[in-house]
Amino acid sequence: MFRQFRRTTMLVAAMILAAGAGQAMAADGATLYKQKTCIACHGPDGKKPLLPEYPRLAGQNAAYIVRQMQDIKSGARANGNSAAMKGVMHLVNDEEMQAIADWLSGLN
Amino acid sequence: MINKFLSTTLVTIALGTSTSAMAWLETGGEREEAMLLTPDLENGRDVFEVCAACHLPEGWGTEDGTFPQLAGQLRPVLIKQLADIRAKNRDNPTMYPFALPESIGDAQALADVVAYIEELPMNPDNGVGPGTDLALGEKLFKDNCVKCHGEHAQGNADKYYPRLEGQHYKYMLRQFEWIRDGKRRNANPDMVKQIKSFSDKDMSAVVDYVSRLKPPAKDLAPSKDWKNPDYE
Repeated sequence: MFRQFRRTTMLVAAMILAAGAGQAMAADGATLYKQKTCIACHGPDGKKPLLPEYPRLAGQNAAYIVRQMQDIKSGARANGNSAAMKGVMHLVNDEEMQAIADWLSGLN
Repeated sequence: MINKFLSTTLVTIALGTSTSAMAWLETGGEREEAMLLTPDLENGRDVFEVCAACHLPEGWGTEDGTFPQLAGQLRPVLIKQLADIRAKNRDNPTMYPFALPESIGDAQALADVVAYIEELPMNPDNGVGPGTDLALGEKLFKDNCVKCHGEHAQGNADKYYPRLEGQHYKYMLRQFEWIRDGKRRNANPDMVKQIKSFSDKDMSAVVDYVSRLKPPAKDLAPSKDWKNPDYE
């Protein structure tokens, strides 16, 4: 009885923790998306880009988003409109890129 | 033959001269048009929403110098820079798409938004330099900058000379370097000449000194935590 109670408690605690962590991550990505000025070009929730030449990001694969951000930051990708984005890429580190990409990929 | 060579050379020289003159103050462009329009502040506030995503709702920019403080900048200066960026007379790939008519509107919108920006209270806590060469900075400022930018770096609206007091150190340093090194194409040619011999140390010293000049209290926000009530 006691053992089962403890197991349930632990399970619930783990679930709360997991949910909490998930939420914190999502909130971070959303906050960073505004703070690091992604929103200025890609629009609220990555759904309404400033110009038709800019990509929609909502629902995009996180790994793809991270890769593009890294390549634009390093200069490996310099075609198209990447010059516009390069100017702000010093504002984000790898961890922040991942958080932003995870959040964006979870949007519909 | 010599005549032809001579005339080609002359044409080249003439073209070269007019191009550099144009780069500073282009005539007949949107700058002139927007200067003559009566601004609508309410529409200016709406247009500013696009700018606020990077320059912040207060128009204070960022201390790291990525985005300059716009609040309190002289209206003609803002008009000139916006018109220059959208006419591709000043290279700014990050800002360019926002300066386009489809993002912020026509010359009227331009006149509206700059009138709104000019009236925003300024950041009382802008980014400053390391503070290591202020005496040198002061001397360089008095010898080189005061004549155009004014005793207090308040700028000169009639001549399109920007207000520098209150601007972030890192932003000014980057622009100063670009002007010195010919990277900022719409720079005033007199300034390019004036600062040509500045070393990196001179540059940092004078910009540091200028970043510490405080705008008059009436132009400043009451605190560094002030938020623009138009965007709450």
